[in-house]
Amino acid sequence: MGEPHLKRELGLLRATMLGIGGTLSAGNFVIIGHAASLAGYSIVPVVFVCGIISLLTMFSYCELGTAIPKAGGEYTFVKVAYGGFISFITGWFEWLSNMFYAALSSIGFAYVIAYIFPQINIPLTAVLIVITFAVINIRGVKETGTAETVITALVLAILGIYVLSGWPYTQRTQAPIMSFPTGLLGIFAATAYLFELYLGAEAVAAAQAEIKNPGKNIPRAIILSAIVLIILYTSVVYVAVSVVSPEILSKQSSPIAFVAEQVMGPVGGILVTVGLAIAGLAATNEAIMAQSRVLYAMSRDGYFPQKLLKIHRRFGTPYIAVIISAVFTLIFAATGLVNFVVYAVNFGFIVGFSIVNLSLIKLRREKPYMERPFKAPLYPLTPIAGLAASIFLIAFIEPTVLILGLELSIIALIVYYIKMVGYHRIRIAFGGMSLGLGAFTSFLAYLIGTKQIKLNGISPEATTAVFYVLIFASLIQILAGILNITTTSD
Amino acid sequence: MRIVRAISKVVGLLQAFVGGMSLIFAFLLFYDLFGVQAVLGLSRENIELYMLIFIIFGLFSIISGLLLFYE
Repeated sequence: MGEPHLKRELGLLRATMLGIGGTLSAGNFVIIGHAASLAGYSIVPVVFVCGIISLLTMFSYCELGTAIPKAGGEYTFVKVAYGGFISFITGWFEWLSNMFYAALSSIGFAYVIAYIFPQINIPLTAVLIVITFAVINIRGVKETGTAETVITALVLAILGIYVLSGWPYTQRTQAPIMSFPTGLLGIFAATAYLFELYLGAEAVAAAQAEIKNPGKNIPRAIILSAIVLIILYTSVVYVAVSVVSPEILSKQSSPIAFVAEQVMGPVGGILVTVGLAIAGLAATNEAIMAQSRVLYAMSRDGYFPQKLLKIHRRFGTPYIAVIISAVFTLIFAATGLVNFVVYAVNFGFIVGFSIVNLSLIKLRREKPYMERPFKAPLYPLTPIAGLAASIFLIAFIEPTVLILGLELSIIALIVYYIKMVGYHRIRIAFGGMSLGLGAFTSFLAYLIGTKQIKLNGISPEATTAVFYVLIFASLIQILAGILNITTTSD
Repeated sequence: MRIVRAISKVVGLLQAFVGGMSLIFAFLLFYDLFGVQAVLGLSRENIELYMLIFIIFGLFSIISGLLLFYE
């Protein structure tokens, strides 16, 4: 019997729900409030235009996904088109962005649960959510798709009730959605701000190695999910500004729940709050799947250890990659460190979008005879427009986000360099670091032993214990350093 | 050679353990569990710096330990 492979078990419905569910999150509906302060009533056409911009890039995903239906999504496309550091940094940002997204979504859900049950521990709840969906992801891609379908259907149903209940207000109020009270700059700022509404539909590309009949189902799933999201967001926002003014909307911590409360009473507010919380679960599930497939793909190409390539014999999933990704996500969810890097989610996805459009153009020029079951319409206008939109959005990103993106790029460069340098040299480098850490720990032990650092809060016996622990740790570090440095090369 | 390999595995495991403890301690420090901040007499302004030191120490130790263990 041969080595186990990823199984193609996702049909059109599950693949489409992956795209929709991966995009919906509670945070998306919260940012609508601030966007309303930027664009006023014209937030409605802004949301629609954001969707169209996203759709332009989705056509590139459709073409590349059907031409290269291997695990890894954007990373795999860029690997084929460019290779080298460009593909590594694309995969790096894709992996990190999905990891942060999963952590954020699980924390968001935990906060909503804490609102209803104040006694629960938020980090612990977030950790349990991540573990639950990691287990589902290991169990099988079909199970992942089914969970996503059920959760997303529930969220769509709740939002559908909200839209239907509030629709009479749109006829009554006739909100001036084509007015531009904040001018063009306000519109541009709102567009850049709201771009993240549609981030996640490319999750279909991450699972492309597991979709049945990829030549047909990948483009259908991507385009269907994009269209559903455009209709959904536009109608949700249209109802919102028809019920309350943008000024009032911008002051609400949960704008859509507030609007639901106006339309359906307190029950409406609770229903939408619960619905948006559940949306966080869909996003967590999809992000865990996406990040594991990227890790799997990067290991396939040698950037990460080969152990991450292992496929579970029974479940047909890259279970080691899922576990490793989930562990990192847990660390971010448990420690709240995700708050420092939340903005990197947007930056990473926008970088990915830009490079995917460039990859499409490069492959059309250099490999015109590559089999393409789906071709992006109106080439080269669609990838150029998608690229231009991504660059435009980067121009409106806050400077702190750009700085964080640059820092993550530098880390990517270091990681890539370590991979290129070779195992033997890495061991020598870590050997040197271990010696340094051992010397530092010995010095610390000396300072505590000679009472130059006083630990006032603990007893003398405990101070002695700390001293001996530090001595032990320093000995281990020094020994490890010597063993790593004296290693023989392969 | 086999003895060196065995020692490498043991030392690698211990180093990874030390690194893990360092990460756990960083977590305890950040959330001030068991009153560690008061016990160590650390000011609130410097907590993030100490946390960063413990995290870097922990991560490097774990990676180095794993390199030794999987030699």
